[in-house]
Amino acid sequence: MKNDNNHIRPDPGKFWFTLDNAAKIFPAVINEEITAVFRLSVILKQPVKIGSLRKAVLLAENRFPYYMVQLKEGFFWYYLEHLPQHIPIEVDDKPVCRKFQNGALLIRILVRDNSFSIEFSHILTDGGGAFEFLRTILLFYFAECGVKISAKTQFYNPADPDSQEEYEDAYVRYFKEEIPPMVKRSKAFHLPYSLKSKPRFTRLNAIVSLEQIKQIAREKEVSITVYLVAVYLYILQEICESLNGLSKYKKNKRLRIQIPIDLRKILPSKTMRNFSLFVMPEIDLRLGHYTFDEIIKAVYHQIKLETDEKLINKNISRNVGSEKKLYIRGIPLFLKSLVLRMKYYSLGTSQYSGVITNLGKIELPNEMCELVDYFIITPPPPNKMLKINCGVASFGNKMVLSFGNITQSTEFEERFLQFLKDQNIKVKREINK
Amino acid sequence: MIRCTNCGVELEENANFCSLCGAPLLKMATDNLDIINSGKTLQDEKLSMDFQKLTGFQKRKIFWKISGIILISAIIITLLIDFIASQTITWSKYPATISSVLFINFTLNTYLHKKIILLLAISFLFTTVMFFLFDIYAGETGWELKLGVPVILALYITIYSLVFLIRDAKQKGLNIIAYSIIAAGLLCIYTEAIISIFLQSSLSFGWSLIVLVSVAFISALLFYIHYRLKKATDLKRFFHI
Repeated sequence: MKNDNNHIRPDPGKFWFTLDNAAKIFPAVINEEITAVFRLSVILKQPVKIGSLRKAVLLAENRFPYYMVQLKEGFFWYYLEHLPQHIPIEVDDKPVCRKFQNGALLIRILVRDNSFSIEFSHILTDGGGAFEFLRTILLFYFAECGVKISAKTQFYNPADPDSQEEYEDAYVRYFKEEIPPMVKRSKAFHLPYSLKSKPRFTRLNAIVSLEQIKQIAREKEVSITVYLVAVYLYILQEICESLNGLSKYKKNKRLRIQIPIDLRKILPSKTMRNFSLFVMPEIDLRLGHYTFDEIIKAVYHQIKLETDEKLINKNISRNVGSEKKLYIRGIPLFLKSLVLRMKYYSLGTSQYSGVITNLGKIELPNEMCELVDYFIITPPPPNKMLKINCGVASFGNKMVLSFGNITQSTEFEERFLQFLKDQNIKVKREINK
Repeated sequence: MIRCTNCGVELEENANFCSLCGAPLLKMATDNLDIINSGKTLQDEKLSMDFQKLTGFQKRKIFWKISGIILISAIIITLLIDFIASQTITWSKYPATISSVLFINFTLNTYLHKKIILLLAISFLFTTVMFFLFDIYAGETGWELKLGVPVILALYITIYSLVFLIRDAKQKGLNIIAYSIIAAGLLCIYTEAIISIFLQSSLSFGWSLIVLVSVAFISALLFYIHYRLKKATDLKRFFHI
C-alpha cells in the first residue's frame, strides 16, 4: 500500500485519484443542508476588477490541476476525476456554501463589490489548501492590476510543474501500523435551540480588533485560539447552566470543542488536499462550575497535550487503519455509504458541542497588504446536532469571526460577542449586503 | 473606470454590459441608453421567438395540422375512388376507419400530452371501437372481443409502463433501448397467452419464451454497457479497492 498514490496522473489529460482519508466521509453525508462546502473570502479596499480576476483565475487553474476534478462513483469507493472545465465565476447573490451539483467542479468563485470568495467542497481540501489557492489567485490578481510584487515572494508559479507531493494523501504517508486504537469518547453537550426552516444556513460575521484581543490573550499568557476556545466553552457553560430542570437533566454535561489543526505545520508535507486533524479540549460540568481562568488553563494544557506528534500519529493511524482493512475495502460503495451515514452522528458530531476553526494570522507581501481589508473563513454549514460553528481569520488589525448557524436563536453569538465587548475589545458586525 | 451598478465590480472602460452579472451599464452610457435598451428588447424578442419556436406544444400542433390535412384528404380520396369504381362503399371503409382513428390519436397526443393516463385510456377506447368496426365490416366473426381487445389492452398496458419507466429514468441512453425490448418480449408472452386461450382454451407457451430469454440477455448486456462501462470506461478506476 506504499504506492497508494502512484496511479495519479497516468495521462495529464484525464488523471484521477482516490479521496483522501478525511474526505471519505463527505460524499456519504452531503445533502442540501449539510453541504460540506466552506468559503474563504477576501475583502479588498477597492472594487474587484473582474477582467483581472478572470485572468488570475485562469493562471491559477493551470497550477492547481488537482482542484479541477469532479466526484465519481466507483464500485468500492468514490474517486475524483479530472474535469476539463474552467472554475465558474459568479455573482455572490445566492445562499452561502451551496451544495455542488453532480458532474460539476467542486469549487466556485463568487464576486460582489469589493470582495471575492472561493467556495471549496471539503472533499477536495481543507482550509490550509484552500487558502494557498486563494493566496495564489490574489497574487496573480494584483500582478494583473499592475502591483509590483517583490521577487522574494514565495508562490505557486504556473511555470513550475506541480509536484507529486501536492497530490498525496498525506494521512497515508504518516500512517504507522500497530498503534493501539483510540478509545471512543463519551457524548457531549449540544445546544438546545430549535432549527430554522429550510434553507437553514445563515451566518453572522463580526470584525474584532486583533490588537486588543491579542493583548487580552497575552495577559492570560495564552494564544488567541486558546482564548477563543475558552470563551466558546464559557458561553456554552452559561447556556447549559441557564437551562431549566428537565432539559438540563437530559443534556450531557461534557462540553467539548473541536478545533481543526493544520497538520502541515507539524508533519512536513506539501499536500494540497485534506491534511488536518482535530483536538478536542473539554470541560466536565459534573465536576462543578468552571471560572473563566480555569477554563483557559484546562484548554491550554489539553491542546498542548493533544498536539503532541505521537498522539497525532495515533489518531491518523486510527483513521487510516480502518480504511486499509481488506474486508472494509471490499464492501460495495452503497453499503459503505449507508454505514458511514449512520456513524456520522454517533462517532462524529455527538462527541463535540462546538467547532472553532482558526485560519490564523494571514501574512501577505507588503505591497499587497494595503490593498486588502480583511479575510473571512466560513466553515461548512453545521449539521442539526452541532447547530452552530465558528471560523476565525485574522489580517492586519482585523480578526473576523464568522458564526454559521442553522437555528432560530442567535443567543450564542450575542453572548459570545458581548463577552468580548465586556473585555473592552472592539467588536463590529459586518453589515450583510 | 466603470463600475457595475448591480454587482459592484469594476469593468473595462468600453464595456456596455457587466461581464459578471450581465446588467447593462446605463449610468456610464447615458448617450447610448436608447441603443442599449432597444438592443436589449430586440434581443429579448429574438430570444422569446426562438424559445416559442421550440416549445413542444407548438411543434405537436404543427404536426397535428399537417397530419390532419393528409389523413382527411386521404379518407376523402379513397372513399371517392371506391365509390366511382364500384358505385358503393366497399374496401375503402377500412383505410377510412384506420385514418380516422390515427387522426384521433394524433389529436389526443397534441392536446393531452401531459395527461398520459387519460390519453392512453381514450386512445384505447377508440382503437377498440376500430376493431369492433372491422368485425362488423367482416360480418361479425366474434374474434374482436376474445382476441382483439385483450391484445390491444396488453399493448396499451405495456406501452403505459414503458412510458412511465422512460419518463422516470435519470439517464437516457442504451437503458431505454433495453427497457423497450424487454417490453416487446413481455408483449410477446401476453400475445401468445391470449392466442393460446383463444384457439385451444388452455394456457401454453412456446415461441414467446424463446423471445423473452433472448431479449433478457440482450437487455442485460445493454444495461451493463450503459450503467457500468459507459460511466467508467476505465475499469481500474471504477473498481479500485
